[in-house]
Amino acid sequence: MEERHLTVDQEPPQEAAEVVNRREVRLEPGAEEKLVLQFMDSLNSYLSFSHSLSSTLGQAWMELASARHSMGTARLNTSLLDLKFHPASTTLKITECDDDAKARFVLRKWVSPEEVGEDEDSNSTKSSVPADDDDEAVRRERAKSLSVFGILIPPKLRAAQQSFERALETLVEMANMQSSFLNSFHQLHQEVEDNKE
Amino acid sequence: MANRAQIPTKNSALIAMIADEDTVVGFLLAGVGNVDLRRKTNYLIVDSKTTVKQIEDAFKEFTTREDIAIVLISQYVANMIRFLVDSYNKPVPAILEIPSKDHPYDPAHDSVLSRVKYLFSTESVASGRR
Repeated sequence: MEERHLTVDQEPPQEAAEVVNRREVRLEPGAEEKLVLQFMDSLNSYLSFSHSLSSTLGQAWMELASARHSMGTARLNTSLLDLKFHPASTTLKITECDDDAKARFVLRKWVSPEEVGEDEDSNSTKSSVPADDDDEAVRRERAKSLSVFGILIPPKLRAAQQSFERALETLVEMANMQSSFLNSFHQLHQEVEDNKE
Repeated sequence: MANRAQIPTKNSALIAMIADEDTVVGFLLAGVGNVDLRRKTNYLIVDSKTTVKQIEDAFKEFTTREDIAIVLISQYVANMIRFLVDSYNKPVPAILEIPSKDHPYDPAHDSVLSRVKYLFSTESVASGRR
């Protein structure tokens, strides 16, 4: 008898972990409905954002085409892109939601290279909306991005830049919704598998 | 949940792009372009001369780099490597299929939406309930 207990205690760690994890995932009926609602909500939001993205990108391409028409094709093409070392000004912060273990993306726009270096070492919670004090830094980073295509920048190119920035914000929201509905989906899928056994 | 993937937290991760010239230029204007010390970029511009192998290699590279959080891929480009995109299932980097000027977005072809579509089929959660 004692030996049998010892055998149970000495289950291979992976199987024991799976048993524990399955017990953790076993949902109450109310929680399951909540999960389904969360899945449907985030999927609906994802599809809404994708419609909005199509519209924003359509406008952005139109403005880009208009800028190319006024500047000339030679002044607005990829051969002008700088291949010297430079870090991205617009980056993402990834965090994990503690309650759901899903990824959360936060857009960080127009961060100067010095701030990027500082933030790698700290747990900065800089928001995606730049503070008023940083307006000058943001303007500088925006101008640097436009300067790849020359000094005299037509208004349509600036407008295109703003449209693509809005598209980026929508894309980050889409990524968050995707993370949410995939998380709900995996939990529901696990529940279905557990019910089958 | 068993085998739940770890979410790597990071303060300044990149957005990678595999798309046509106008889309890449536009997002570069928005400041997402990154060139590292080895002159490697976080984007691939797809045109008529780009081969499927180049697109596959770029996708594999971007999805295995630790400094990339989101990969944007034009849906018509994703269709060329659909088997590869369908087999990808990590939470980070997230793959987002986007429309292009000549190819509007079709939710029916989206890999991520296809994966969860079965919840609306006859093999739904409801049918598994006692």
